Amino acid sequence: MTPTNVLDGIDPQRLGDLLQQARKKMGMTQADAAKVIDAARTTLVAIEKGERRLKPNELIKLARAYGRSISDFVRPTPAIEPFEVQFRSVYQRHDEQEGEINLVIHHFEQLCRNYLELEQIMGAPMARNYPPEYRCDTLPLEAAAESIALAERQRLGLGDSPLPLLRDILELNVGIRVFYLEMPTKYAEIYSYDPQLGACMAINQHHCEERRRWSMAHGYLHFLAHRRKPVLDFDGQYQRRPESERLAEAFPKYFLMPTSGLLRRFTDMSSAHGKFTTTNLFTLANYYGVSIEALAYRMEGMGLLPTGTWDRLRDRGIKVRKVQLDLGLQETVHRPDQLPVHYQHLAIDALEQGKITEGRFADFLEVDRLEARRIAEALRSHSVAMDHESMGLDLRPV
Amino acid sequence: MPVKCSHLILDACCVLNFSASGSFLPILKALSAQVVVTQVVRERELLSLRRLTDTNHDDKNMFEAAIAEGLLLVEDFANDREEETFVNYASELGDDGESATCAIAVHREWAIATDDRKAISFFQREAPHLQILSSLEIIKHWAEVSTVSSAELRSALSNIRTRGRYAPHRNHPLLSWWQDLIE
Repeated sequence: MTPTNVLDGIDPQRLGDLLQQARKKMGMTQADAAKVIDAARTTLVAIEKGERRLKPNELIKLARAYGRSISDFVRPTPAIEPFEVQFRSVYQRHDEQEGEINLVIHHFEQLCRNYLELEQIMGAPMARNYPPEYRCDTLPLEAAAESIALAERQRLGLGDSPLPLLRDILELNVGIRVFYLEMPTKYAEIYSYDPQLGACMAINQHHCEERRRWSMAHGYLHFLAHRRKPVLDFDGQYQRRPESERLAEAFPKYFLMPTSGLLRRFTDMSSAHGKFTTTNLFTLANYYGVSIEALAYRMEGMGLLPTGTWDRLRDRGIKVRKVQLDLGLQETVHRPDQLPVHYQHLAIDALEQGKITEGRFADFLEVDRLEARRIAEALRSHSVAMDHESMGLDLRPV
Repeated sequence: MPVKCSHLILDACCVLNFSASGSFLPILKALSAQVVVTQVVRERELLSLRRLTDTNHDDKNMFEAAIAEGLLLVEDFANDREEETFVNYASELGDDGESATCAIAVHREWAIATDDRKAISFFQREAPHLQILSSLEIIKHWAEVSTVSSAELRSALSNIRTRGRYAPHRNHPLLSWWQDLIE
């Protein structure tokens, strides 16, 4: 049977912190909240400090006033270091950013916590394939970036081909939690590391897929070389870029467009046509899933195109999207979901096995119940060819 | 399928299914017990009901009309014990709607209507003596006592399937009844 009063067993300090966060998010003062439970402001202060225990009735009233579920406050959730603490040092340098990105970081933290909770419910922790952190203080920066890119491609068995499914590689082959989240346009990516969660990334959902892939590769370098340092990547961040950031900026071009593969394709195209045209440039960029600008700069850097090629194309007013449409180039293949694929599968498995309610499933997916049913149907259809028992069978040899 | 208690409390799954059926009011009318929904479910499921509403089916209004006609009572916690039980259940179920439904049912000894497997197993453990009904049992009962035509019944089930996106689980006791009618 459920215990007499679960509130007696909950850490009052943690409950107080959660209530304080929820109140602030609603823009309510302590005096406003105190009125909700017919108490003095000092009582509410004591509750938020964890010095006075809450009665069930008070918790229900406060949760309703804050527009939150009771279960948000009383459900056992994995303990992780609040992202706010991790990002405090980043905020100190950029006070004005704190206001505009704080909600996104809270959302990111909540999703990561949900992910861990789902893993615990299903007893299926994410497999990690993390290399030791790369040391890069002995090589010049560009050489270090290329060397790490080559080493990682080799470690993951990626050869020198394009990486159309970069997000899946990072999620499933490496074990990084990658979310696509809504955030102001100037932000590209948020990277965080927690010993329990491992590496987590939030990529700006509003950016085009080419840019998101670039941001993922950028965040991946931080994971590879500065693992425990939280990163908030946004335009106009630095007057003078630190070396760690310059390394992260150099890395994506080598990781997404490795020299050997690019050289081979350039040679093939040039010999087939006797020249390398703008059409070839567009086709190749599409093939690698990068922007025309990124590919042009990369080829300029390799000496395959004259310096200033991209600047000249841009100055001539080339309409990138129109040319892509005219050439019949398909949009880069990608999975636009906000949530990682493994997260979604853990949630549907938990629902199917009766380990969570439908309402909780909808909460995990951050949708209403009807949409949750639609998503559940879609996720189930992926495994429609398998019966329930065979899904759980161990397929390894005895 | 007689309801063995004076009241039958619906959880969010059932509210959504009955709303999607397009026959919310007739289904409620066919029940001998007073049908109830918790204030928590009413507040939390409005968004789903609003999305369900389209030009042909005014489901949210049917839900509100049922309340206005007294066919559906909205109940909130009546005392400290119910509130305490609700909070305790929420910590285990992680779902306010199911927790409120279970807490009120347990304290008032009411029957409960739910299709949620987690909620069913929880409820069976917390109150094994109380009756649990499913959406399909209630719809089947409606079809039997109200002599609903097979076309009308098929339409209601089909609406639940397509608009409510519900399908019974593979071990549901009425799965074959559902399949025979819907396919």
